[in-house]
Amino acid sequence: MSLSGALVRERARRLSHSRRCTRLPTTALAIGLLAIPWRGPDVGPFDIPLFSTATAPAAQGSARLIFAESPFGVAVTATGHARYDVRITASKLPAPTALGNFHAYVAWAVTPDLSQWQRLGPVTNGASVVGHVELDKFLLVISAESDSAPASHSGPTVLHGNSPSSWLQMFLAHTALFHGVTD
Amino acid sequence: MSGGAAVVAVLVLCMSASVAVAQQADTASRTMPARPPGMSGMKGMQADSTARPMPALAPTPMNMPDMHGGAMTVPIPMPKGMVMMPGLVGLTPPVTPFLPGAGMDPLSLPAVKPSQVVRMQDGDTLDLAATLVRRSIKGHPYVMYGFNGEVPGPLIRVPQNATIIVRYHNRIDMPSTVHWHGVRLDNRYDGVPGVTQQPVAPGDSFVYKVHFPDAGIYWYHPHVREDIEQAMGLFGNMIVDSPDKNYYSAANTEQVLVLDDLLVNADTLIPYGTEAPDFALMGRVGNLLLVNGEPRYTLDVGQGEVVRFYLTNTASSRTYNLSFSGAPMKVLASDVSRFEREERVPSVVLAPAERYIVAVRFDRPGRYALVNAVQAINHFQGEFDAEVDTLGIVTVSPAVVAPDYGREFAALRDNAAVSRDIDRYRPYFDKAPDKRLTLTIQTNALPLATVQFMNVDTAYYAPVEWVDAMPDMNWLSTSTQVRWILRDDATGKENMDIDWHVKQGSVIKLRIYNDPKSFHPMQHPIHLHGQRMLVVARDGVATKNLVWKDTALIPVGSTVDLLIDASNPGAWMLHCHIAEHLGSGMMTVLHVDPPAGKGVGDSGR
Repeated sequence: MSLSGALVRERARRLSHSRRCTRLPTTALAIGLLAIPWRGPDVGPFDIPLFSTATAPAAQGSARLIFAESPFGVAVTATGHARYDVRITASKLPAPTALGNFHAYVAWAVTPDLSQWQRLGPVTNGASVVGHVELDKFLLVISAESDSAPASHSGPTVLHGNSPSSWLQMFLAHTALFHGVTD
Repeated sequence: MSGGAAVVAVLVLCMSASVAVAQQADTASRTMPARPPGMSGMKGMQADSTARPMPALAPTPMNMPDMHGGAMTVPIPMPKGMVMMPGLVGLTPPVTPFLPGAGMDPLSLPAVKPSQVVRMQDGDTLDLAATLVRRSIKGHPYVMYGFNGEVPGPLIRVPQNATIIVRYHNRIDMPSTVHWHGVRLDNRYDGVPGVTQQPVAPGDSFVYKVHFPDAGIYWYHPHVREDIEQAMGLFGNMIVDSPDKNYYSAANTEQVLVLDDLLVNADTLIPYGTEAPDFALMGRVGNLLLVNGEPRYTLDVGQGEVVRFYLTNTASSRTYNLSFSGAPMKVLASDVSRFEREERVPSVVLAPAERYIVAVRFDRPGRYALVNAVQAINHFQGEFDAEVDTLGIVTVSPAVVAPDYGREFAALRDNAAVSRDIDRYRPYFDKAPDKRLTLTIQTNALPLATVQFMNVDTAYYAPVEWVDAMPDMNWLSTSTQVRWILRDDATGKENMDIDWHVKQGSVIKLRIYNDPKSFHPMQHPIHLHGQRMLVVARDGVATKNLVWKDTALIPVGSTVDLLIDASNPGAWMLHCHIAEHLGSGMMTVLHVDPPAGKGVGDSGR
């Protein structure tokens, strides 16, 4: 089972569940919650399935978080935030120029409220290891840009996904997971 | 209704609906026969390192006026802003509460003393007694344990390659032993009941011969019911000094910090389970963080002073992330050796049983807080919460310290001797694993509310759980309901049923995978007795700066490759060092078989 396929099915299952919840009384919701073996996505705690957008619908990809080099068992900051390198594997990305006046794809770590975009590095078809992430929850966005090191995000998104930690949600507040990043 | 209130309302309904069933489940669990946790089938041996007090030697259940019918009724402290889940209110763990001293008046006991340094030479003898002591926690006196009346126990300081005799006297109310953690000593003195010796009954003694082949920081603790004995104060350090005076980079001062935590309410310790460890899901995580047995560590230094800290995590379950208010820090060594290269670090991550030696320079006058800073998980709000505990204060005076080791501190040393020692193992780094373990869990008869909550909550597992965000569920789980598992991928055998034999002198690659899809994935600090090992890769990424270890943290979802230098013959425990996980069966034995004609214990040490 592909990661993206599994996640799509998981998302569909959760979305269906979410919609059902909005229609039912709270008690029924409670019973529903009790009855559903909600085990999360069929991916590990370091995996990020990536989803394409209408800009490049054939594009595929996934990412994996790898603890940054550390003398300890895990890499964290002094404040306790995990420090990850991000390894992105992408395929079927069209030539950036096919999308307009763009010359590179760039990966970004984005806070869930979309207020902060941290440039991670350029992405190509195949495997790319891009920079550190030290955010608890984040979106991983790959966009077409005018060059490989733009100061800010401006081009269209071609792939996006959520950090595994994004699955940590209030029980009724999974909208971020279901809607992801809008173009 | 706010989102948070809505969540709480739903949870109230969820959990209320499950109360009746949960109570049935709990009743069922109470009637379960006590199960030896994961102890079956070791040929001729029964590792008893953890769980069952011997029938004649069982700890005496406490008799507290606020406890009824043998059940625990002391409410456990909940994280700020959280209340016990309705579906769990009124439930208690199916064990009889236990605290040391069986209701003795603590004032009848001697007050605990701070750790004293005991310098020993080759051939010296030490009398070490586990005793009842009086400790004051938040102004309340309690009966607890100590070695020689001290918490931490005496700091044993010996030269490298010394051999000492320790006459251990058990004067507490439980059977016990002493395990010399990290020391590659003769197997018969390793202190594991059922594997290397019988438990030392209260009033009895045992003589240990401890040889120290490796310089560094080590620690000693019982290997019987660590969830009680170690947590109640039975731990101490050993520093093994290299003959090389420049073994570590220069420092003005040395400090030995033993990290520990206790779970307390306002005026009570939270009792332990007599028949089995409680807090079996994630181990007991204390809410009072201690350094050297006290809640507030202080140190006065001069400006520019370089302090070499020897850090040991003796907590049952807590993993620390320590720093000194941004003071520059470099890591020098860990469990069994120095690093190949000193390395600048923002903080020190210590899993249970790990040790690290770091140098810190306090280059400006003022106060530096020693803090444990982690990202806790709020399962109800679905958010990460920054949690910072201040463990102590370092006060730096304006007086400039002499000598000034600033230049040495700024340099990062290469420890060529360490690299040379490791060189002969590098050809094995890329070999296929000789052994594979998967870490997982089985549960039965847990309260239904716990089971359902875990199902709806477990969309995400943090690689490391730094705090116990659900102590109610954790408290109610005991090792009769929870079985933590080391599973041999090759045979499917688990825990003590695994029968691993390797030849003395072989180099073994052990690959450990921490399955993230189990009922309750959690990190595990895996400890191997009597040998040394290298963490050569994590998740397929080779380690660049190696150090010899005896304990390695395996985060949730991670695959870690350990290269074991199987040089020390004998039957050696391999286990999770979270005391309650060990008490729930998460252990096996690695047999390092000597050549034919040579017996275990003939190593000449």
